[in-house]
Amino acid sequence: MGMSWKRMGAIAISSLLAIGMLSACGTSSSSNETKITIFNSKMEIQSQMEEMAKKYSEEKGVDLEVYYSSDTVAAHLATKYASNEPYTISMVDAKDVYSLAEEHAVDLSDQDWVKETDQAIAIDGKTYGFPVSVEARGLIYNADAIKKVTGKDFNPEDYETLDSFKELIQELKDGGMETPTGIMKEDWSLAAHFLAEVYEEQPDPSAFIKELHDGGVDLNSNAKYNSLMDTFDVLKANNYAASTAISAEREVTEQKLAEGQIAFMFGGNWDWSVLNQYDYSENMGIMPVPEDTDDGSNQKLVGGGSKFFFIDNSSNTSDAQRTAAKDFLNWLVNDDEGKSFIVNDCSMVSPFKNNTLTVADPLGASVKEYADAGKLIPSYNYMPDDHYSVLGAEMQKYLAGEVDRAELAQAIEAYWKSATLSDDTK
Amino acid sequence: MKHNKFSYKLGQFLMFAGPAGILFCAVVIIPFFYGLYLTFTSWDGVSKTKPFVGFDNYKAAFADTAYWQALGRTVVYSVIAVILVNIVAFLLAYLVTSGIKGQNFFRAGFFIPNLIGGIVLGYVWKFVFNRAFVAIGEAMTGQTTPSLLSTPNGAMFCLILVSVWQYAGYMMLIYVAGFMSVDQSLKEAAMIDGCSPSKAMWNVTIPLMRSSFVQCLFLSTTRCFMVYDLNLSLTKGEPFNSSVMAAMHVYNQAFVYKNYGIGQSEALVLFVICAVIGVLQVYIGKKGEVEA
Repeated sequence: MGMSWKRMGAIAISSLLAIGMLSACGTSSSSNETKITIFNSKMEIQSQMEEMAKKYSEEKGVDLEVYYSSDTVAAHLATKYASNEPYTISMVDAKDVYSLAEEHAVDLSDQDWVKETDQAIAIDGKTYGFPVSVEARGLIYNADAIKKVTGKDFNPEDYETLDSFKELIQELKDGGMETPTGIMKEDWSLAAHFLAEVYEEQPDPSAFIKELHDGGVDLNSNAKYNSLMDTFDVLKANNYAASTAISAEREVTEQKLAEGQIAFMFGGNWDWSVLNQYDYSENMGIMPVPEDTDDGSNQKLVGGGSKFFFIDNSSNTSDAQRTAAKDFLNWLVNDDEGKSFIVNDCSMVSPFKNNTLTVADPLGASVKEYADAGKLIPSYNYMPDDHYSVLGAEMQKYLAGEVDRAELAQAIEAYWKSATLSDDTK
Repeated sequence: MKHNKFSYKLGQFLMFAGPAGILFCAVVIIPFFYGLYLTFTSWDGVSKTKPFVGFDNYKAAFADTAYWQALGRTVVYSVIAVILVNIVAFLLAYLVTSGIKGQNFFRAGFFIPNLIGGIVLGYVWKFVFNRAFVAIGEAMTGQTTPSLLSTPNGAMFCLILVSVWQYAGYMMLIYVAGFMSVDQSLKEAAMIDGCSPSKAMWNVTIPLMRSSFVQCLFLSTTRCFMVYDLNLSLTKGEPFNSSVMAAMHVYNQAFVYKNYGIGQSEALVLFVICAVIGVLQVYIGKKGEVEA
């Protein structure tokens, strides 16, 4: 007597189940339309991206899908590459372009849009990174809130130096705004954005970082470190959450700024997506971080191209997909709908010269103004991957008053001595 | 067909264990050995080349002070959390088997926190610590109260508190099963012999429940050692990276700092430590087990 039907059935079902579970890991799509996938790493534009993808798919006969992950960009892409399922187009930070592009990205040098922008990333003469937007950092102000207290129009250019800024803070306090500033305690804001300006505002950031690495910098006597930390101290002393600085939530801080309970917060134009969730004041903007210096850095914002698209070059992506991906990038630059998507739908500042739409959001408008006037200090894109986390923790200690400025300087110097520099700095 | 032939036995074995065995290999065994191989390379996680570097990653892992700090912190957290989880779980189990009114309702109630995923639970408690407790503190003292999550010790306290809240219900179920499995007649016999209820508990019930203790300790220890989701959503390592547990450090090292090889070797060290603790504890626990 051989196997009974029941037993055969059991074997068949169990193996089917096993195979089914295994194949669920892979993906199988069989449609005639070219399908391209986009990885979006800007949470604030995810819904706009999805809507755009739907419309784009209908109009262009390309199946466009947008994905988002709250993981660190590099970590998320690592898992996608490890499973041989890279996105056709990935939106990454500048540093990721430098670390990924040569192995994973398509050379885009022959594309027409290259000459329309200064912000594209090229490595060894080949353009790999398509700039999505221009972003810049500075001090976000609420002009309406200031005017309400002082009774005068707020003109950011009057407060380039720390002394004049302090006077304004005092005036605000006297007028009843007891704590005119807010500080985001997030490590990326403190270390990757604020502390980074210490390097970025040096005459030659690469050389400065190399010197830090070699142990040749005494931060305590460094003019830039001190002038920026002086400003930080003023922000810290007048922080609405001074005693609870490291548990202050970003949303609360931004809400207070938007509604005018505080007047200043260090941040960038990406903060608009949070600010506009609240009952925001009409006249807001970004100004350079006030500083007692005469190198002109207190007249400029720090920033440049932010978030870059690159197209995957692996065999997991077909040539048809790559062509469709290039078409999509061209659409963003040259098509009226694409231009409007960047500026109006996502309220980003376009890095392309042929995109002359006016930015509706006030922070973006400030950035555009400074960018057009050539008043942007380029961001430093070669930071080691653990910089924001390790020194973010040190900055948080400083913010909480656990260490003083000299100890912070020591920690920064110690970090850089043991840090592995990227090839571009060496 | 003979039922003792090797091919028959193999066929039988494969029929039952085959599908599960294949899956187990595919998602546990193969990744484990592939991971072992990766510890000998300086792969960054995305690069196409995986240069062989020998034992460099292990050297780097042993020299990584942040890793050992995280591990030490994890040990402290685990020891306290495991003890508290088991005490609370045992007391709850005692409570809901003692015949109080509505004990099934309480059983379900205490178990529910375990059904909420660690991530959601972390965010909910973060809100409670950062907003609710702060608001209550301010209302009571009339001055600004810093959140518990803003100091290193406070953050550790919060992690332990939430873990206890999360796991106690689950462990309670195992203890409930343990209580139920102890024959009522044994306890009665002890009482007739003159034991007080607490003595009967200590000398009869608890020794007979030993297997429940072994299971609960094993489960709670391994879970606490590997804690990640709660760590991520509740404290995210803050303040000042002072609440980064071992698993989170491993993840950061591998994926955020892009030192995949070092992260993987640190993960392996963590695995070995967990395995040794787990096996030792089950071995010691089983050795003294008694049966009625």
